[in-house]
Amino acid sequence: MALKLLLTLIIALVTGLFFLGLSRKMIARIQWRYGPPLIQPLIDIIKLLSQKSMTHGGLFNFGLVLSLAGSVILLLFIPLGEWCIMNKSGGLLVIIYLMLLAPFGTALSSGAAANPNASIGISRKLLMALAYEVPLLLILLTLMTYYNTISISGIIVKQQNAGWSLTILPLLLSGIAYILILPAVLGIRPFAIVKAPQEIASGPSVEYSGKFLAFAEIQHAFQTYITIALFVNLFLGGASNPGYFFLKMLVVFVAGILIHTVFPRFRIEQAIKYLWRWPALLALAGLAVVVILDKI
Amino acid sequence: MNLVYILAVAFTASLLVYLSGKISKTLRNFLAVLVSLGMAASVIYLYNHSFAIHLSTGFPDFPLVLRINTLAWFFALIISVVGVLTVIFSLQYIKNKKRTDFYFLMLLLVNVSMLGIIFSGDLLSFYIFWEIMSWSTFLLISYNRGAAIAAGMKYIIMSLAGSAAILTGILSLYTCFGTLIIAELAGNLSLTSPAYTLFIFLLFFTGFGIKNAVWPFHSWLPPAHSEAPSPFSALLSGTLIKIGTYGLIIFFYVILGMKKFIGLKYGFFNLQYMLCWIGAFTIVFPTFIALLQNDAKRLLAWHSIGQMGYIILGIAFGTSTGVAGGIFHIFNHAAFKGLLFLSVGAVEYRTNGVRDLNSLGGLLKKMPVTFCGALIGACGIIGMPLTNGFVSKWLIYKTLIVEKYPFLAFAALLGTWGTILSLYKFLHNIFLGQLPEKYKNIKKAPFTMQFPMLVFSLIIITCGVLPGIPLKIINRIITSFGLKALDISIWGVISETGALNTVNIFFALAGAFFIIWLIFKLWPKETKIAQADNYAAGAAVPRDKYNYTVNFYNPLYRMISPCLRDFIDEFYIRLAKITRSLCNSIKLVYNGDTGYYIMYIILFMTALIFIQIKWSIW
Repeated sequence: MALKLLLTLIIALVTGLFFLGLSRKMIARIQWRYGPPLIQPLIDIIKLLSQKSMTHGGLFNFGLVLSLAGSVILLLFIPLGEWCIMNKSGGLLVIIYLMLLAPFGTALSSGAAANPNASIGISRKLLMALAYEVPLLLILLTLMTYYNTISISGIIVKQQNAGWSLTILPLLLSGIAYILILPAVLGIRPFAIVKAPQEIASGPSVEYSGKFLAFAEIQHAFQTYITIALFVNLFLGGASNPGYFFLKMLVVFVAGILIHTVFPRFRIEQAIKYLWRWPALLALAGLAVVVILDKI
Repeated sequence: MNLVYILAVAFTASLLVYLSGKISKTLRNFLAVLVSLGMAASVIYLYNHSFAIHLSTGFPDFPLVLRINTLAWFFALIISVVGVLTVIFSLQYIKNKKRTDFYFLMLLLVNVSMLGIIFSGDLLSFYIFWEIMSWSTFLLISYNRGAAIAAGMKYIIMSLAGSAAILTGILSLYTCFGTLIIAELAGNLSLTSPAYTLFIFLLFFTGFGIKNAVWPFHSWLPPAHSEAPSPFSALLSGTLIKIGTYGLIIFFYVILGMKKFIGLKYGFFNLQYMLCWIGAFTIVFPTFIALLQNDAKRLLAWHSIGQMGYIILGIAFGTSTGVAGGIFHIFNHAAFKGLLFLSVGAVEYRTNGVRDLNSLGGLLKKMPVTFCGALIGACGIIGMPLTNGFVSKWLIYKTLIVEKYPFLAFAALLGTWGTILSLYKFLHNIFLGQLPEKYKNIKKAPFTMQFPMLVFSLIIITCGVLPGIPLKIINRIITSFGLKALDISIWGVISETGALNTVNIFFALAGAFFIIWLIFKLWPKETKIAQADNYAAGAAVPRDKYNYTVNFYNPLYRMISPCLRDFIDEFYIRLAKITRSLCNSIKLVYNGDTGYYIMYIILFMTALIFIQIKWSIW
């Protein structure tokens, strides 16, 4: 149990950091640059941890630790291959709720910093969360209705018998909707509105320095891992071993990065309008299809 | 213990509190706390009691019945505990205002009359206490005068309309069945025609719905909650509107009966399903209106309506999990909304009545305990795991999903996200961000204000980590309605379609937090810097000039505000205007001038004489 726990955390951290490194390298190559080495995020974190840091008081620290703890506890609910540590503690409904712990922690921390850039960033972060959460909730409800369970391991088991959710016809609309919102959940372009370095100086993380920034980076790595792992588990059938699971995640992430590289950034209103129009409509239609099929 | 004595002593003692205020303020404060504590103690003593007392009134047909059972005890507990805490909070809050004796008299009177409603075993005594509660509430809402008078008027007019509906319903039931005792009425309605059931249903739903502030009847609540004195807002939101829910529960599950209520149909028109959708609409619409508010208490008031939506949805859904979730949410809402209103009250007290979210900020460093209260309350209302709000909402969502009503579940979940956004704005704009220069010397809240907030926080956390304690009592309530009991343990709910284990989540979160905190502390200590240092890189910045709070979610406001017109309220206001102009035109005739009246008489006589002469009818 303890070993599994430790392994889950390490795999998540390594995968998350690898993805961040990979994305920098890929973007560089697409832009005809050489780019940093793959382990650059790790080097950055070690460097940051050795630097001095500044704080704005207790809540500033508390919020950051809370957001990292929120991501870590979320990891325990998301199956990695066949490992799911907190299998019987409330299922997808708890995941929906735990997903808000990390943004809320960051929001408290950056709010305590009293920097207008941080406040603008947080306001955008929460707005984006509301915007993509509308289709995401519809998609999750579709799955829970279709598979008739609120347990995420249950959904994976059922996919092992019936094939990936993405290939099941009634769930196709929801699957497409999920793919459409995935860049928004990951926070990459065209939805890189929260950090927007050129505009609001990295938003929520503007006041972080030294170990604070390192913690925020680790949290970002975890968050990237969680978002992709959730999609793989729900729509790509999970996996029986971590290696295969990693492969599936890699495919999804690389596809995301390719979109990230070629798109410019939306403004926040455009992002909300987009997310509430096509993905939400598709997800709504998908839910309607599943409900109607269920009644017949 | 006799329920009659409790109520009689409490009523007399409230008057004594008023009179003692004429002698000494300290004595009055002491007595007020004592009376409310006495009520709470006697309610706690009644735990696990179940009996009824018949009193004859001299009218043989109308015996007054007072009774207690688990449902009544549960509500009585909420009322008396919130009562004690608001009285303690009021001691300091109300100190420098006028008519303080009157305030305490009314506060206690509202509490006693609510207890009376809960203890009533027949509809007549129910109605009597209901009316006492209605007017004493009105007097307290308009306590601050000014805008509060208009808010109070709106409340009392809607409340009177509701009372009239309830009275009509009671009279109709009496003519039909010849009794007003709830236990005797139970089940009788199933013998009557469906049309009559619908008629009674609409009357009671209007009456209780107005008190409950369910969607089409919600419009009295935002002004009333925001204009009332803050501790009373906590009481209004925490317990008073729940009395409407109590009425609905009694009507649905006792008078109408569970079997009759579930699947109540008129052709294609499923009444129960429609109630669920009213609940869902009551969640989403007010929650998003709350997002647009700039007045701290008005924001909370709109959320009160939204949270009532969850309760209605849970109770109307009619499965054991749903009803248990709804009833548990009543308890939880009393705790976290009470806490939130009290924390606004503390801020308001220290800043001399400022509740404008755009002009506050940075109070975290000055009022840390109040902030912790507000944070825990906010986590509760959002339904963060490990707070009580999470468990009740989880129960409601789960039943909606398992019973395959995903659209209702979507409305409920969407409401939660709206709540997060507006509650974060609430916390951010009051406590985080930059501290305005004028609040530099603000002091922390006094102990009598901190104490109730601490108690509320403790309740929220305890019931969130160990939800089995309240759920055990709720289980007894729902089995008394004839629903199946939930399979609960001290740490959560067990079921085949997905279990909840809060203790697991608690230890995982606490463990993760502790370890990360430890790693965080192992690294060299961070230096604390002033807020302007990093942002301005040491250069001088003009004070009070760089805060982002006004229009916090501006892009969203521009998108949603055109869609969120409160057309129900506009309809009521138009109705009021039409009535007023109608009355004004009548006033032109009856203008109070005797000369005019004499002229009317002469004109009338002239007309009569003219008719007689012309056609000689008589």
